[in-house]
Amino acid sequence: MTIPSDIAQTIIDPRAYADGKQVDDAFAWLRREAPLEQAQPEGFDPFWVVTRHADILEVERQNELFHNGDRSTVLTTIEADKKVREMMGGSPHLVRSLVQMDNPDHMAYRRLTQGSFVPQNLRALEGRIREIARGFVDRMAAHGSQCDFARDVAFLYPLHVIMEVIGVPESDEPRMLKLTQELFGSADPELSRSGGAAQTTDQGVDSIQSVVMDFMLYFNAITEDRRVNPRSDLASVIANGTVNGQPLGHLEAMSYYIIAATAGHDTTSSTTAGALWALAENPEQFAKVKADPALIPGLIEESIRWVTPVKHFMRTATADAELAGKKIAKGDWMMLSYPSGNRDEAVFTDPFKFDVERTPNKHVAFGYGAHVCLGQHLARMEMRILWEELFARLESVELDGPPRNMAASFVCGPKSVPIRFKMH
Amino acid sequence: MPFKTWQCRTCGYIYEEEYGDPGEGLAPGTRWSEIPDSWICPLCGTAKSEFDMIEL
Ligand code: HEM
Repeated sequence: MTIPSDIAQTIIDPRAYADGKQVDDAFAWLRREAPLEQAQPEGFDPFWVVTRHADILEVERQNELFHNGDRSTVLTTIEADKKVREMMGGSPHLVRSLVQMDNPDHMAYRRLTQGSFVPQNLRALEGRIREIARGFVDRMAAHGSQCDFARDVAFLYPLHVIMEVIGVPESDEPRMLKLTQELFGSADPELSRSGGAAQTTDQGVDSIQSVVMDFMLYFNAITEDRRVNPRSDLASVIANGTVNGQPLGHLEAMSYYIIAATAGHDTTSSTTAGALWALAENPEQFAKVKADPALIPGLIEESIRWVTPVKHFMRTATADAELAGKKIAKGDWMMLSYPSGNRDEAVFTDPFKFDVERTPNKHVAFGYGAHVCLGQHLARMEMRILWEELFARLESVELDGPPRNMAASFVCGPKSVPIRFKMH
Repeated sequence: MPFKTWQCRTCGYIYEEEYGDPGEGLAPGTRWSEIPDSWICPLCGTAKSEFDMIEL
């Protein structure tokens, strides 16, 4: 069967992700009636929609059978794909980061920075991250009793942390935030570069390409600086590192910066903002964590599952294959739906309940397998420190108006979470 | 014999014999050698053979 067109439209519609319930309902229907089938919304090549937790793991585990780079890694229209290939000499990608690579390059490039992101090496950052977190908690207190938690805290704190890790000066952070939001928010009229949802494919691809160019100009200057003045930051690793005995290619180096400078904060910001939104709506969950800070790790895992800021990645079959009884043909395109996997009734009891005590909580929000999120330990650590500092002072929190989500079908989360709070 | 620590090469997951991983059904004190070879990293699915012994 082919997925009914109204459902297919919903799961690709940025506004349905902003609404939340629309995509939840569509995926719940799919998990029940058509857990692994093809969708073909108008203007798109057909693609399999992988909705079950177990099937997502199965695809991601087999990274030689299901490649990242053979076709676009995010869902894109036929027309946009054609335009990107024209611009990029046949390649379906505007950048070439870890996400677009397969082995042997993927492993070689991932090894370059992996050491910086393992827990024991992140420990050295704990003290500095705590200072940054305290600064943001102080700023929140300075707001009095009301703020927009998304804009005033959640967007800024992970941004500051990752920019220090990369080595971007604080004065350039607003620019990095704006570029990130333009990239991920290209379908959101409030965030996109053109100031409206793009009307045509040309406008859409051009505006994403111009954001990528701005990032590249910026990081090219940083690379040149670090070649002359190496420091102990990630930029110096990228600028001076070697892969297979050679310096990184230019596109690869620029793409490495771009992924760190975008994925490295927006996702964590969304999760942080979504956590406070959920806590404000569920005062009994807030009270539990307040009474027992040992629940903070549970709060973190649950909020990552709850928000699932990365909505999908695509894979391409490199050979004919069978998955959950379906015949997948070589070249078929597959959408891994993380929000669906994270609401899978077969894995999570009461999946639509926000529960900081959920155990086990084996969500797929960081993906799985060879491409599993490089920054997962950093993201968890940042959130742990912020919640430790905030819960020590926050006495109560409630919503002060309707929160709003960004409209995007790839990476998104709350863009505004107005709250009223008491803290000491 | 002192307890050892093992780390996944893909995602950095750390298995400490002393603490085990009760969520994975591995009781505190479970030795690396007692974990079946078919066991995979609980965070990313990497094979047991792709873990390195590390000093923390
Ligand atoms: C809550 C926060 C975050 C979430 C939910 C998240 C989610 C994800 C997901 C779903 C993937 C794709 C995994 C796959 O294909 O299996 C990914 C990859 C990646 N993430 Fe994250 N991420 C987060 C934070 C971060 C941070 C802080 C960094 C900082 C450097 C980061 C850097 C990356 C990189 C470089 C990749 C590509 C890895 C590869 O393809 O090998 N992420 N992330």
